[in-house]
Amino acid sequence: MFKFKKFLAAICAAGLLMTGCGGEDSGSTGGGDMTTLKVGVTNFADTLEPTQNYFGWVVMRYGLGECLTKFDEKMNIVPWLAESWETSDDRLTWTFKIRGDVKFSNGDPLTAEAVKNSIERAFAKNTRAATFFEYESITADGQNLVIKTNKPLPGMPGYLADPLFIIVDVAAESGRDFSKEGPICTGPYTVESFVKERAVMKKNPNYYGEVPFETVEIPSIDDPNTRAMALQAGDVDVAVNIAAGDIDIFKGNDKFVIDEISSLRVVLARMNQNPDRILSDKKVREAFISGCDRETYNEVLLKGTFIPGKAPVPPSLDYGFDQLTDPNAYNPERAAKLLDEAGWKDSDGDGIREKDGRKLELDFVVYNSRAELPLYAEAVQSDLKKLGFDIKINTVDYNLIDNMGIKGEYDLLISNITTANTGDPEIFLTWYWKSNPDGSNPQNGSGYSNPEYDAKLEQLSTEFDAAKRRQLIIELQQILLNDAASIFFGYPQTNIINSKRVAGVKMYPSDYYWITNLIKPAK
Amino acid sequence: MAEVFKKNKLFAVYTALVIVLVLIAIFAPYLAPQDPYDGNMRNVLQPPTPEHFLGTDKLGRDTFSRIICGTQVSLFMTICVVILLALVGGLVGILSGYFGGKVEMILMRVADMMLAFPGVVLAIAIAGILGGSIANTILALLAVGWAKYARLVRSLVIKLRYNDFIIAAQVNGTKTINILWRHVLPNILPMVVITGAMDIGTMMMEIAGLSFLGFGAQPPTPEWGLMLNEGRQYIQTAPWLMIYPGVAIFIVVAIFNLWGDSLRDVLDPRHE
Repeated sequence: MFKFKKFLAAICAAGLLMTGCGGEDSGSTGGGDMTTLKVGVTNFADTLEPTQNYFGWVVMRYGLGECLTKFDEKMNIVPWLAESWETSDDRLTWTFKIRGDVKFSNGDPLTAEAVKNSIERAFAKNTRAATFFEYESITADGQNLVIKTNKPLPGMPGYLADPLFIIVDVAAESGRDFSKEGPICTGPYTVESFVKERAVMKKNPNYYGEVPFETVEIPSIDDPNTRAMALQAGDVDVAVNIAAGDIDIFKGNDKFVIDEISSLRVVLARMNQNPDRILSDKKVREAFISGCDRETYNEVLLKGTFIPGKAPVPPSLDYGFDQLTDPNAYNPERAAKLLDEAGWKDSDGDGIREKDGRKLELDFVVYNSRAELPLYAEAVQSDLKKLGFDIKINTVDYNLIDNMGIKGEYDLLISNITTANTGDPEIFLTWYWKSNPDGSNPQNGSGYSNPEYDAKLEQLSTEFDAAKRRQLIIELQQILLNDAASIFFGYPQTNIINSKRVAGVKMYPSDYYWITNLIKPAK
Repeated sequence: MAEVFKKNKLFAVYTALVIVLVLIAIFAPYLAPQDPYDGNMRNVLQPPTPEHFLGTDKLGRDTFSRIICGTQVSLFMTICVVILLALVGGLVGILSGYFGGKVEMILMRVADMMLAFPGVVLAIAIAGILGGSIANTILALLAVGWAKYARLVRSLVIKLRYNDFIIAAQVNGTKTINILWRHVLPNILPMVVITGAMDIGTMMMEIAGLSFLGFGAQPPTPEWGLMLNEGRQYIQTAPWLMIYPGVAIFIVVAIFNLWGDSLRDVLDPRHE
């Protein structure tokens, strides 16, 4: 008995210790003269080099970098560092007029020459730049930047809003390692220190507008639940992307403001259709999609924070969502029939179908930093088990996803992708589904290829007329649906939640602008 | 046997509890009121109700059924690990203790190396590199833990090595294998069993820990550590998803630790 008492005592002692550590002071950011803003984010960037990988997104989200153009809350393209732009009559020449009152954070003036160098740098450093557009020449004339192309490119102002084309001071690069110390840009804040887990930004003294905070601290809290708790505890003033499981805590709490909008994102799973893969058989793909009860996933499992998926482009963008027909809507009986037709039968009675000695086993690649992805994967795993699929969920780090997608090391690869990074879905529809002969369209590692689709894309790339573009995009989407090219799970609402200590926090559909100079201490 | 239980009432109680646990594990599929893998997705994150009296999880699966079936997974993995540890560690220990010389030097230096690493960190590294699965978790814990058993067994064997009965057996021309089997092994077995029994609780925690971190059992396996991790996202809105698997781990580990302790009291020759 003695031992048992000792044991109990140990538990009590442990309990006491734990309560002793819990009550940290959280009111440090309160008070009237607020000079520090704290923002809880998710950060995937290892460095702040805007041309590396997708790291430019982070440079922009942190209030460091700016582009020539930006998207407003309705996805209209509006001036930013360029105050106006025009295209010549033959539509091969674009002229951007650069603002005259802007300086880089080191005091250098922003000239068209500096912009030219910056855009050329992006092209030199990242091959993705050429997937947006190719130019014949860029010339600088005072504050006018002239871009000549050899084919008409209607999307140019939108392309230049992509964070890959953040304007950096190339002249400052000689004395500074951009990837370690951060680039010299024109945004309201500059980098004081940056590691992946935490960034500290300082006010840019040369900013052309008002900068409300002296310091911005940006801890990267990748776990959605921890992020919600940090916001609740007052460790951060603003937090992005609070997960479905936690958002109810903030709803109806008058200390917080929620800005929730339909994003331009889609959660989709690429399906590897290369010859030796199980999913190269269209019938299996159709069965897969028909077997997923997407309505339940989005409305029940994700509590309606996602809109049920159907087409590549979300309904928040006006590209005919309602007129598209999904031949593979939820229908498990049809799915089972398709599998039978394709020759997949469960002959050994283990509940998993097989064909020619091969099990119907699929490798489903998932990353964890977005809470909904593993949930979708597990729901699919459970639904499709009933149809005789054996889905193996393979959880990997986010940084591996891009490369796995390019190399095609998956059967299914789920990701949460923005569909309109340049203002409309052209780039999105090109990257992931345009044929990829000899690696010319590296993002499409799935092996999907349809000449009709490619032809329509070609047409789209030079089409200026908005109505015709819309029609083409609708047709492109229908082709993808008919081919069962990928499965589109749902469209997220995205949110940013702030405590009432600060005001002016806004989520933009493009998801590029988190920390802006509009975020101010509350009065 | 009955006498042992009469003399050690606590041991009898703990043994009974252990037997109950083992029975739960064996008959888990029959005891679980609902399918632990297949839930009603229209009925997710329900708080405890008479129908699901520990609530339902994020895919509408019955938490109680998953915890019951989790007993099977956890217990199976733990017992595998402990038995393999005793076998591998025991073999290495006997070889190096009995033969000495170069065999001992090499094996023990390898063991020293393994002991120099912090155990859990090394296990995470191994499981991480091999990829998360039940088999890899067992392998990782085996790789980390065998050295402890090897050292223990080696020191026990060295103590026995030059005892008269072993020398006598050698002089009589008994085969080495028979000496090891009939004279050495029975003498070290109680200590190995005690150590193994006391390790069951620890191993169970480590397995749950690795699963919690995503290196052990993979979804949709009903494993307690994994269930804790899945519930973590809902800690504020559906706390039962974390509380009950946590309680299950606590109860089972506590029972095995107490049982291990009392087993030592019973078997340890110094107590006689």
